[in-house]
Amino acid sequence: MSDPILRIEHLTKVYPDGTRALDDVSFEVARGEFLVIIGLSGSGKSTLLRCINRLIEPTAGAIIFHGRDVAAASRDELREIRRQIGMVFQQFNLVRRASVLTNVLTGRLGYVPSTWALANYFPPALVDQALANIERVGIPQKAYTRADSLSGGQQQRVGIARALMQEPTLILADEPVASLDPAMSHSVLRYIEELNRKDGITVICSLHFLSLARRYGTRILALKGGRIVFDGQPSEIDEARFKAIYGEDAVAVEIT
Amino acid sequence: MPAVGQAGGAPDVAAARSDLTRRRPGAGYRSWRFYLMAAAVLTMYVYGWQVTQIRLSELWRGAPLIAPFARALASPDVVVRENPVERVTVPFYYGGETPPAPSAATGPTLHLSRSAGAIGDRVTATGEGFAPGRRGTLWWENQIGQRQQLGPITTDAQGRFATTFTAPEVQGTHNLVSAEVVSGAGPLRPSPTFYVVLGRMVETVFLALMGTTMGVIFAVPFSFLGAKNLTVHFPGGRIVYGLTRTFFNIMRSIEALVLAIIFTVWVGLGPFAGVLALGVHSIASLGKLYSEAIESIDAGPIEAIMATGANTLQVVRYGVVPQVVPQFIAFTIYRWDINVRFSTVIGFVGGGGIGFVLQQYINLLQWRQAATALWMIAIVVAVLDYASAVVRERVT
Repeated sequence: MSDPILRIEHLTKVYPDGTRALDDVSFEVARGEFLVIIGLSGSGKSTLLRCINRLIEPTAGAIIFHGRDVAAASRDELREIRRQIGMVFQQFNLVRRASVLTNVLTGRLGYVPSTWALANYFPPALVDQALANIERVGIPQKAYTRADSLSGGQQQRVGIARALMQEPTLILADEPVASLDPAMSHSVLRYIEELNRKDGITVICSLHFLSLARRYGTRILALKGGRIVFDGQPSEIDEARFKAIYGEDAVAVEIT
Repeated sequence: MPAVGQAGGAPDVAAARSDLTRRRPGAGYRSWRFYLMAAAVLTMYVYGWQVTQIRLSELWRGAPLIAPFARALASPDVVVRENPVERVTVPFYYGGETPPAPSAATGPTLHLSRSAGAIGDRVTATGEGFAPGRRGTLWWENQIGQRQQLGPITTDAQGRFATTFTAPEVQGTHNLVSAEVVSGAGPLRPSPTFYVVLGRMVETVFLALMGTTMGVIFAVPFSFLGAKNLTVHFPGGRIVYGLTRTFFNIMRSIEALVLAIIFTVWVGLGPFAGVLALGVHSIASLGKLYSEAIESIDAGPIEAIMATGANTLQVVRYGVVPQVVPQFIAFTIYRWDINVRFSTVIGFVGGGGIGFVLQQYINLLQWRQAATALWMIAIVVAVLDYASAVVRERVT
């Protein structure tokens, strides 16, 4: 794999209660990939994504992003790394009482002087950029409505617009459609896919449904008990591999 | 006996079933425990009745004592009618001296059958030119201005009256006799009591406002230290959290009334003592509420904003503040509302405000004035209660 944007080396995370959420995980992500991470609940998907931008402190290992080790970065370096990595969450994680516009603008906080926050100031150019991003995710008429008055699908699109404000080279999407109905799932994933194809943003996205993983991923990584049990093309997952990932009793559920 | 503990499944089922039967609702009164509990509760209330000296008959016996107050509640001292009065005064001297003849004047006149005499003289007073068909009073005023009533007067259809009185026994020689006739019905005006009570009510509302403000100023920074989800990430945070919460709990356990008494000793009687008492109490109450509001915020937005590369200040501004401000506002208004109510009691111990005058009125048995103060408190508290509910509804 030439020109990796991200290289994970022997990443291990042990929680204070002794749970070994990630156990010596190593892989590379090439520029422009749409990497889907699958696995059962508790297999370490969220922990892995959160270790990449250090929302969770890894116990051991290295995370080389654009040639810099995130795990060893100082506070200031970490902020600079984080602003290049957009993140989309299962629960959207919007500030519910704030407007859509304000929520999207918070995506830019890593770039602006922190004192502006005291006066809630964003320069007009940024506001225009935010409005453009809101338009891009298809909800221009909602810019000034409160985030919590939007439907789940619309809220997740606000989450994507917020990530876009960072002008990221990598987007981490943690179960971005797990709180949405199937129709909305496709709508949201198509926006993420578009960012991947058109803007060339590398995407690492955890998903529950194998059907969605097959449909959107250019590569699939499966976790089980904090270890990588599969790493390859979507087409390579056959019945035997499926059972290895999800267990003997699992039955594939199609989401169309 | 159910076959508890035997091998095999069936006896266990039987045991469970028997257990279910025993726990069936309604079977409680068959147990001796039920009667023991009932006896214990009964004993508790019998003792309680005695120790608190409940004598319901006193309610009946004491009713006449409180009746004037009950009546006063129906007629609080709120308005007065300032009726125009026609007043004419003429001299009456003791000790042989004769007063100068009154100069002729327009309007009503008062004439005495004699203008000089001695104590016990019978004197006839006649008046002319007063408003017809009105009531009034004839007054005696001695040399140092002390007045006493000589009797009522009523004018006839021509505005005249005549009445006879006995010259009273007073010190001094230069006395005055005056006739006062109410000549019409004046407009209703707020009574002096109303103005006093209103002024004290305004003082009370502001007393509560200042006390609440003092509470807010100190409670906001403390509340961040008393929020577990914020402090535990820093070294020594748990100790800071524990100390802050302990401080809140200790301060809250001291009643504002006790604080008011302490502060009246410290800074003297008056509203300032009340402000300090309410303020200190509010710091603890608001601090605890604020801390709990901060602890209950959604961690999601904070995580999301941290992930954009924002620093601590930005995370607090955009992740924490929007989530807690509405609750802070709601709690603050609610606290102000409580403080207005409480400052009534604060006044009783000398902390200023309307409670101060209310206590005076009650001590002087000025029931109608006390009723004015009580009505004022009731109305203002009700209005504030409603307003605070509306505002809280809006912000959350």
